[in-house]
Amino acid sequence: MKLPSSFKIGLISVLLISFFIVLNLTGFSKEIKNFFYLISSPIQKTFWRAGDNMSDFFEAISQSKNLKKENEELKLKIQAFLAENIALKDLKKENEILREALGIGLEKNFKLVISQIIGKDISSDTILVNKGLNDGLTPGLPVITSQKILVGKISEVYKNFSKVMIISNKESSFDAEIENREAIGIAKGKGGLKLYLDFIPKEKEILEGDIVVTSALGGIFPKGLLVGQIKDIKRSDIEPFQQAEISPFFNIKELETLFILINW
Amino acid sequence: MVKNILILIIFFYILALLQTSFFIHFSVFLKSWANWALNLIFISVILINLFEAGKSYFGYISSLIGGFFLDIFSNSFIEINFFGFYIIILTLITLFIKLILKRYVRPVIRLGGQG
Repeated sequence: MKLPSSFKIGLISVLLISFFIVLNLTGFSKEIKNFFYLISSPIQKTFWRAGDNMSDFFEAISQSKNLKKENEELKLKIQAFLAENIALKDLKKENEILREALGIGLEKNFKLVISQIIGKDISSDTILVNKGLNDGLTPGLPVITSQKILVGKISEVYKNFSKVMIISNKESSFDAEIENREAIGIAKGKGGLKLYLDFIPKEKEILEGDIVVTSALGGIFPKGLLVGQIKDIKRSDIEPFQQAEISPFFNIKELETLFILINW
Repeated sequence: MVKNILILIIFFYILALLQTSFFIHFSVFLKSWANWALNLIFISVILINLFEAGKSYFGYISSLIGGFFLDIFSNSFIEINFFGFYIIILTLITLFIKLILKRYVRPVIRLGGQG
């Protein structure tokens, strides 16, 4: 008996979808992914380094026109930084003395796991790092840079690898506050490496360039992690709240080493 | 046939690795148009389907292999974490392309050849 081709296609589709549902429900898909990440990580590291070097090279060529102007601007900046550096050195000294006195080292507050990025998926605002279940990671842990800049949180954990959901991911949302303004809002991912601060009370005055840090509310992230700078403020007479776009402090292209906070 | 499939597996595997580790450093592969990043596997599968011979199954095989590597190395763009998502999407695209080619494009080319 010869089966009609539409029946064959339907049967194959049903079988294929059932197979994937079973694969997802049993968690075997995670094993498959972990296996591929494991065998691919040496190649990915090589590609990563090659891509990094090559993009630096091309960037240098494309920017050579602006070099003179940039050089002058940088010289001015260096002078400003030198002045700032002297002031910061004094502050550092004072800070060290205070830290010693109070015993509040960063390592004491946070239990950190250092990880290397081995892949980035810009289309879904996620990063793949080389630490996983075996290193004690669980979903939801905050991920920061060495400068205490918030990058995101762990969204999926495999045996040796983890996926990090960047704060600009559409599913990302957390409480944040604007430094020195006592204004609290909700930072939400917009996708495409963009995020915004919503529900800022209208009576709070905010300016472009204000610094956004994490708030302890919600308990998702520890208080005081750097998020970004206020860029574009949207106020409306009808709305009870104001909204502002945040420019993240981290540069996705330059991220390489990340710290995962296991305890805070 | 087996040799071709092996070549296809290696090709898509390398493409997936390049997309997530190498090309990520170049701004053209970051969000370039309407928040969509350039997806080399998607483009390759579509091109294979467009230019393969009429009765070949190579398009379906390429959508299965390409979809498999996208499922492993990429998160789905509609925030659904389902292994097999890209395989299903690419297979549907393949079916759609083949249907359009069979019904509307090839008959016109054939008529043009006769005329």
